[in-house]
Amino acid sequence: MGSYLLKRLGLTIFVVWAALTFMFVLIELMPGDAVQAKAGEKAVGSAIEANMRAKYGLDKPVIVRYGKYLGNLVQGDLGFSFKNDRSVNTDLKETMKNSLRLLFWGGIVQIGGSLLFGFISAAKKGSWLDKFTTTGSVAIQAIPVFVTGLLAQVLFGVIPVQTFKAQWLNFNFAWPIDGWKLGIFPPNFKAIVLPAIVVGVVQMAFLARLLRSSMLEVLRADYLRTAAAKGLPRRTVLVKHAMRNALIPYVTAAGLALVEIFGIAVQTETVFGIYGIGSKVAEAASIQDGPVVLGLSTVVILAAALVTLLIDFSYSLLDPRIRVGDKVAV
Amino acid sequence: MIVPFNDPIALVLDRDPISPDLSYWGDVRKRFFRNKLAVAGLTVFFILVLLAIFGPLIWSGDYKNARSGFENFRLFNSKAVFGTDDLGRDMLRRTVRGLGISLRLAAAVTIAVTLLGMVLGGLAGYFGGWIDNVLGRLIDALYAVPYVIIGIAFIAIFGRSFWTVMGTLVFTGWLSTARLFRASVLQVRSQDFIEAARATGAGSKRIILQHVVPNALPPVVVSIAFSIAGAILAESIYSFLAIGFIEPTPALGVMIRQARGNFQAYPHQLFVPASVLILLTLSIVFVGDGLRDALDPKLRGAE
Repeated sequence: MGSYLLKRLGLTIFVVWAALTFMFVLIELMPGDAVQAKAGEKAVGSAIEANMRAKYGLDKPVIVRYGKYLGNLVQGDLGFSFKNDRSVNTDLKETMKNSLRLLFWGGIVQIGGSLLFGFISAAKKGSWLDKFTTTGSVAIQAIPVFVTGLLAQVLFGVIPVQTFKAQWLNFNFAWPIDGWKLGIFPPNFKAIVLPAIVVGVVQMAFLARLLRSSMLEVLRADYLRTAAAKGLPRRTVLVKHAMRNALIPYVTAAGLALVEIFGIAVQTETVFGIYGIGSKVAEAASIQDGPVVLGLSTVVILAAALVTLLIDFSYSLLDPRIRVGDKVAV
Repeated sequence: MIVPFNDPIALVLDRDPISPDLSYWGDVRKRFFRNKLAVAGLTVFFILVLLAIFGPLIWSGDYKNARSGFENFRLFNSKAVFGTDDLGRDMLRRTVRGLGISLRLAAAVTIAVTLLGMVLGGLAGYFGGWIDNVLGRLIDALYAVPYVIIGIAFIAIFGRSFWTVMGTLVFTGWLSTARLFRASVLQVRSQDFIEAARATGAGSKRIILQHVVPNALPPVVVSIAFSIAGAILAESIYSFLAIGFIEPTPALGVMIRQARGNFQAYPHQLFVPASVLILLTLSIVFVGDGLRDALDPKLRGAE
């Protein structure tokens, strides 16, 4: 088992390194650097320009800068913006609170909703609820997240307030930039509802469908017929025997879905005007601020790799088949 | 249909006793057209394609330049059926062109992604070994890179154009097709009839073209449908985040981005492009879902 974990760790480190290198190359290839961004259209004296280049380390060859990027990263320095000189670490510190809160509630929607819908639709296969879940889960994946977010703001914000004067149906509130302390329940909980649902619903649909099909597969197995034949109540059969085994593929997929939530958070935070990592990346991207995008993307990649590793490890503890042979998992 | 139970020919040909007179693809077609949602999706999709082709001819005229002294017309106005946006531009004219951009881009991206994914995924799946390892790790690494950074880098390097957006989408899109086709080839390759073919002395080329590709194809058919929808979705996201098309190109994502600032007062500016976009992707996804069910050999002959 130890060798399996080591192998996973080595692979993850390699993949993370390759991804970081690729991103560095991409940003390097972008025309324009800090000096040009600063100097703008103005003609800067060559001495000043050389000075600035030396200050930012841009006079060094690419390979040195690449080494510096990785070296700084190991020390926790993410670089700085070309546009306003701000450190990416400051950006990260400011935006992390809101993003973590969004991630937490989005994760609850994603996991809770998918367990509920997946279980019910497998247990009551062929019912209207099952049909609704399976059709709905296909449909929701076809709608871009930013459209869902905007429509949610209209339906649970603009229309209730403007047309029906129904203030209680208004869920469209701004998130303060730094007004909330980091806690699970913030003062204005209503502001959380729409972003959390929007950020979680796509993966929720995908996971519900996955749980449904893996439950149905398990339900066909002989040992479940045995369990039912022994006279166990249907509920025990479903929860204790079917659900438990169906959860194994679900856990991996849920972890991967948690990783993918970042791409969705970029859109959600932008649409709801939440000052978070995602909206910061989007904002930096729209003004072509390469280093900020690079620094924050680096954090995202590292976080995602960590989550994936943790899932891998816990998964190998949960499922004895993976512990025995490396062939099953890799 | 009555099938003689011990029909020797049926036994020899290993026919499905439920629909013995149909080939595999005939059966697929039959089951696809029995799926109401899929047929509805196909119909809507065709209507949208027709709109994208003939719309710009019917509703010709200016769609790019802002008009001064405009008023933001409400929906179903006699002057502009879908109203105008905040810059006084006809929404209908812009929408049909946006539809065309989405479809053209999706077609180009899907063709490129499918070919690339099939060749690379097929090589990895069939030959295995170091090719498989290198490609697998490459795909893992590229998967980890957030799409935003690829978007801005491509635009900065290649300039903003249709081809850049297409390149970005192909670059991020071939990964899943390659993975899918690799898995599919891997599964086919391990089956007995491939070994039988090899035993009879068939070469790699013959085995790949005659045996592996046709049998590994059904998942690719489904993935084509989902690639089209995925490309349209991705394009709208890129445009919405200003790392794809930008004003005044009438791409649907650009129109929704433009509507963001004033949907409180003029919700139709959001509703028109958003509903066209949703209708388009939904119709394709339902077709893809219908195809997936129809192509599944386990469900063959099932009512």
